[in-house]
Amino acid sequence: MWLLPPAAWFVVFLLVPYLITAYYSFGHMQSYRYVPGFSLANYIRIFSTAPYSGAIAQSAVIGLLTAVFSSLAAYPVAMVMAFCITRPAARSAMYVLVILPWWASYLVKAYAWKTILGPHGILNSLLVDLHLIASPMTMLLYNQASVVLTLTYIFTPFAILSIYASLERIPASLLEAAEDLGAGGVEIFWRIILPLSVPGLLAGAVITFALGFGDFVAPALLGGADTLMISTIMINLLGVANDRPLASAIGIIIAGLAFLLIGLMDWAERRVTVRL
Amino acid sequence: MAASAVVMLFLYLPLFVMVVMSFNAGASVGLPFTGFSLDWYARLFANTQIMHAIGNSLIVAAGTVAISLPLGVMAAVGLDRYAFPGRAIFRRIVLLPLILPGVITGISLMNFYIINGVRLSLATIIFGQGTALVCVSLTEVYARLQQLGRSQYEAAQDLGAGEIACFVRVILPNIRGAVVGAALISASISLDEIAVTYLLTGRQNTLPMVIWSLLRREATPLVNAAGTLMVVATAVLVTAGLRLSRGGEGSGG
Repeated sequence: MWLLPPAAWFVVFLLVPYLITAYYSFGHMQSYRYVPGFSLANYIRIFSTAPYSGAIAQSAVIGLLTAVFSSLAAYPVAMVMAFCITRPAARSAMYVLVILPWWASYLVKAYAWKTILGPHGILNSLLVDLHLIASPMTMLLYNQASVVLTLTYIFTPFAILSIYASLERIPASLLEAAEDLGAGGVEIFWRIILPLSVPGLLAGAVITFALGFGDFVAPALLGGADTLMISTIMINLLGVANDRPLASAIGIIIAGLAFLLIGLMDWAERRVTVRL
Repeated sequence: MAASAVVMLFLYLPLFVMVVMSFNAGASVGLPFTGFSLDWYARLFANTQIMHAIGNSLIVAAGTVAISLPLGVMAAVGLDRYAFPGRAIFRRIVLLPLILPGVITGISLMNFYIINGVRLSLATIIFGQGTALVCVSLTEVYARLQQLGRSQYEAAQDLGAGEIACFVRVILPNIRGAVVGAALISASISLDEIAVTYLLTGRQNTLPMVIWSLLRREATPLVNAAGTLMVVATAVLVTAGLRLSRGGEGSGG
């Protein structure tokens, strides 16, 4: 049985840990020791007290903006890959060009933006040299916009691949038929290409949202006092505060939200997908 | 076409800037570019903390591949061969670490280790990354098996080959490219990983963790040089990995 070892591994190293985390989230800490229990106090605290509920709301906004911007940036590239590049060699070269920045170090990508937007960064130096501003701007970095920009940068390649996977399946005959029947480029896009690409668009956006929502690297490096994200809080709770039950509850909430979205996506996909 | 070119520029410009600045002679992270120099690379290689971390990262990458590759190959062969109830759920679970933010897998494994009294070390990172990256091997090998079809395998079985002989002499030679490719891609992701690793790190740090702590303190051009090396390593490993696993035919994800 080929599946037994991997299945057993996933039960021990993934499902059991998830369950332990869920179990921890119902307990609490008392004088630096974990006390098991079955109380919803952690969840109530997260949803009703300001730093936690506010951070969840802000993470959701940042995740949403990231999903929207990376989908918008990704769509034209996916279109070019699917319809403009016809030679297989050129197409696979383009595929590699898109996938390289996706698999390049997450940390390095966030860092790259920090150096670009920083007070001595390329952008400020350029603007000063062009005499557009007198001295370097500090408002470029350490705010919500710089976090969204960086996350958009990080997740755009993923969105491209996801949308491309949908566009690739659209048969050329369908587009030719539409053209023969007198449809223009714009009409073909709105009535054929866009509806058929919904599954890829949706999958890309949902995963981008979930990963952006749960990110802690970009806010730590590029966020400011106004960007408090929920994963950052979770990690801080595990450090100095050492409140593992509360951190576990936050983890369960993030995971729950991701599951909910993936479920919604599956449901939406079944409703809108046109069988070809 | 134009919009697409702008987006590609957006994807490459920041990395390009970092690579160029890593050769800057000056001591500032940003402009001005005061002249070409390999000074930062020299300092990087002279930094024992960073060199030690690179060694740790290589150990972690090797361990991660040693865990995720066999499991991924077995899961791919199983998924390719049998239709069984719960097949979709199995695939979902394998993909979970990729879809959920890394900190979730991180905190879950951390709790798991704590409850079992395991002390955090490089081994705890390896088990975490190894679990998270099974999906990479699974995806690459599964795609290759689907292309391959069943006829050779069935012929071998008809001729009396057992399950193990079948795998070693019929399946493995056919999926060798995908297996090596998956190993290279997994190694590249492992070398860069921080989200899962962050909560599973004990005393021994990996390279991304050291860069992280450097960045929290101050931005030093040393990070430009380290980042450039990491990007080059990714480029080499991923390009070679994709070429091997898909035979130059880039399609699918």
